[in-house]
Amino acid sequence: MTQTSTPLETKYGLPPEVRFCKTCVISNQRPNSDIEYKHTKATKKKTIHFAEDGICDACRMAEQKKHTIQWEERETQLRALCDRYRREDGAYDCLVPGSGGKDSFYAAHVLKYKYGMHPLTVTWAPHIYTDWGRRNHERWIQAGFDNFLCTPNGRIHRLLTRLAVQNLFHPFQPFMLGQKFLAPRMAALFNLPLVFYGENEADYGNPVADAQSAQRDYAYFSSGDASQVFFGGTSVAELKERYGVHPVDLVPYLPPNPEELREKKIEVHYLGYYLKWHPQGCYYYSVENGGFEASPERTPGTYSKYNSIDDKIDDLHYWTTYVKFGIGRATYDAAQEIRSGEITREEGVALVKRFDGEWPARFETELMEYLSIPQKEFPVAHGAFAEPIMTKESFLRLADDFRSPHLWTKESGEWKLRHVIWDQKAS
Amino acid sequence: MKPRVTIIDYGAGNLHSVTKAFAKLDADVELADTPERIDGARCLILPGVGAFGEGMEGLRKRNLVEPLRRYAASSRPLIGICLGAQLLMEESDEFGRHEGLGIVPGRVALLPHAGVKIPHVGWCRIYPASEQAWQGSLLEETPVQTWTYFVHSFQCVPSDPQYSCALANYGEHAITAAVRREAVIGLQFHPEKSGTSGLAMLRALLRSTSFS
Amino acid sequence: MPLRIIARLDIKAPNLVKGIRLEGLRVLGKPADFAERYFEQGVDELYYQDIVASLYERNSILDLVSAAADQIFVPLTVGGGVRTVDDIRMLLRAGADKVCINTAAIRRPELIGEAARIFGTQCVVVAVEAIRQPGGNWKAFTDNGREHTSLDACEWALRAVELGAGELLLTSVDREGTRKGFDLEFIAALAGKVGVPVVAHGGAGSVEDIIKVARLGVDGVALASMLHYGNATIPEIKQALAAAGIEVRV
Repeated sequence: MTQTSTPLETKYGLPPEVRFCKTCVISNQRPNSDIEYKHTKATKKKTIHFAEDGICDACRMAEQKKHTIQWEERETQLRALCDRYRREDGAYDCLVPGSGGKDSFYAAHVLKYKYGMHPLTVTWAPHIYTDWGRRNHERWIQAGFDNFLCTPNGRIHRLLTRLAVQNLFHPFQPFMLGQKFLAPRMAALFNLPLVFYGENEADYGNPVADAQSAQRDYAYFSSGDASQVFFGGTSVAELKERYGVHPVDLVPYLPPNPEELREKKIEVHYLGYYLKWHPQGCYYYSVENGGFEASPERTPGTYSKYNSIDDKIDDLHYWTTYVKFGIGRATYDAAQEIRSGEITREEGVALVKRFDGEWPARFETELMEYLSIPQKEFPVAHGAFAEPIMTKESFLRLADDFRSPHLWTKESGEWKLRHVIWDQKAS
Repeated sequence: MKPRVTIIDYGAGNLHSVTKAFAKLDADVELADTPERIDGARCLILPGVGAFGEGMEGLRKRNLVEPLRRYAASSRPLIGICLGAQLLMEESDEFGRHEGLGIVPGRVALLPHAGVKIPHVGWCRIYPASEQAWQGSLLEETPVQTWTYFVHSFQCVPSDPQYSCALANYGEHAITAAVRREAVIGLQFHPEKSGTSGLAMLRALLRSTSFS
Repeated sequence: MPLRIIARLDIKAPNLVKGIRLEGLRVLGKPADFAERYFEQGVDELYYQDIVASLYERNSILDLVSAAADQIFVPLTVGGGVRTVDDIRMLLRAGADKVCINTAAIRRPELIGEAARIFGTQCVVVAVEAIRQPGGNWKAFTDNGREHTSLDACEWALRAVELGAGELLLTSVDREGTRKGFDLEFIAALAGKVGVPVVAHGGAGSVEDIIKVARLGVDGVALASMLHYGNATIPEIKQALAAAGIEVRV
């Protein structure tokens, strides 16, 4: 009996064939960073590139970090950059955005205490602080930094989160929207021409972030075409009409005026371009220099206690990436630790097998409440949802809309990934 | 002639350390679990960690009980260590009543526990039970009050003081650190775990044994 | 009884690693090098802990245990991923004197009694990984401080002793690796309250820390960061303890 094989539907424009990197544990379904303003249900994703030899770009980058990049030379460049911008006249000379997590702690600390800069730190608030996240943010300040914490209107943030979940299954989007522009906006406000982000994203090859993107995004807003800009996969026009969102509510999520940035000559650099970034190293550094506290418990979906621990929404975020791309938190954490040399690929696979896709039970109640749109708090928006109150059951049901058939199959009533890394034959 | 030490393997754990200790002292080590090997031994070690009942069962299963008694009667050195020392006695009441090898008269009983913790774990200083007790044994050169390492809940209780070789003070109690009947000596402590002092005892044993 | 000075080595084979609050895998070197140095300096005991065995559900520490037994003639306790009686048997054959269990004991408490009956209570150390709770008590964790249990750490420790544990290793996850001192309240809650030896672990940074915890009546202290990073040598520690009137083996 011959089997006809009709190709399985692939959502989000993901590659139809699932492959795993030969050296780390990431799969080729991993999406690259996107322009969130254009993100709608119809968006097709660009995914991480695998070379002919089956090795992903992130591992390639890690190899370069280990063998080809001249770090002494890079550090010299950093010193020159700092020398150019350093001020001794009692003013800040650079801006360091961050949460007080291990990476931003390290970045701010090393810039201040090793390179003699005078950073102002800024924080875009997490959706829902974890207790230890809040304490670590405080410790960061106590380690010797001025800090501005920007917290968006809680209700709007919740509404946008719900919409992002409903339309894109992407609870983290509102955080990402605001975080991207906080630093340049604050830099403009304080006339600080130098902004330092931390870790270098693998797809960036240059030390200076693409300031052009601010321009591009601003164009959407200044063009006045409110139907072309999307928050939570919903156009600005629709947000106003159906969900009662006033233009002023969107201020924290708007890009700064590129004219202003140009005028003030604001430059955004990645510290990770100049200094060899070692996430675990940042953990030790931040503990030893500032009393940073790892999470007292393992984060659901992974084994790690030091990675990205300040926002309860993270728990859901990584569960949604598991649903959409088949990639859970353990995969991300293990891939990073494999590239840093902390663990072997074999160990990473064991961790992925054990933890990936674990349902985040610990904050479930609070998270479902956060995603709910009760009438009292949202008199207008409430009516626009078929099921305004979110429960675990409705969340799981919603998840099914986002499972791509080429990734998922149902066996005995249970969802199973068609391709898992621990079942791959070595080739 | 290189010293050859025979260590009895009867499934009661901890062969590795004892073996390595003698290896470090440049002796050849053979593991024995048959009557023939015991009969042919020049210097026999009965190590042991675990429960008395299990230990005797291990010896019985391998038909080593009679060969051991025979060997002991032949005046060749037999060193019992920890559980091995206890097995030399006539009987024990650890987890029920069990019969031992009966080579050293006396029994094995729970340590006195008034004011102290059971099991007795840790370092204790040993001293002779009587003035000549250590003469002609592997303890002959050992300084009095040497620290040695103990891990046990039970101790040997010889039926006659002549068989008591070394003592140690545990809390208010004098406990048995070693029993002896001529060339048979049972050490309650672990010489292979007692640092350089313990190694020195084993070295003395090798030196005083005739291997030809 | 002299206070036992114990060197604790966290191992991710083949390396000695040191985390903070049981997180992080910073490599410090080869376990044998550190262990031999401590033996020469007069350490009373060594604890080898395979810290990833539970996580990866594997056991890879046997070779290291055997190698340690080759050169080191003080007691060796081994833990990490010990799940069955067979695991214990293998470790004892490989040269361990005592075996330390946590995760497996919480998952199946009967294991404690089984192991005690077969190998003797003195071979069975139960480790309790405790994290302070807002209410002022401590909760027990498994899997190298990663998995919640619903157990109150002190209650569990007492129960473990009832079930046959011959020794308790009390680890403060909050303090370990920080060198900020032991969690004295946690230790005080149990030291002197059980009929088996108690070893304090987690947080030692100075000799004063050790003196403070010694006065609570513990039988031993397990030191890691303090020794591995060279904050003090074993002879220095023993001298200071002796001067403070605490009996040690010198």
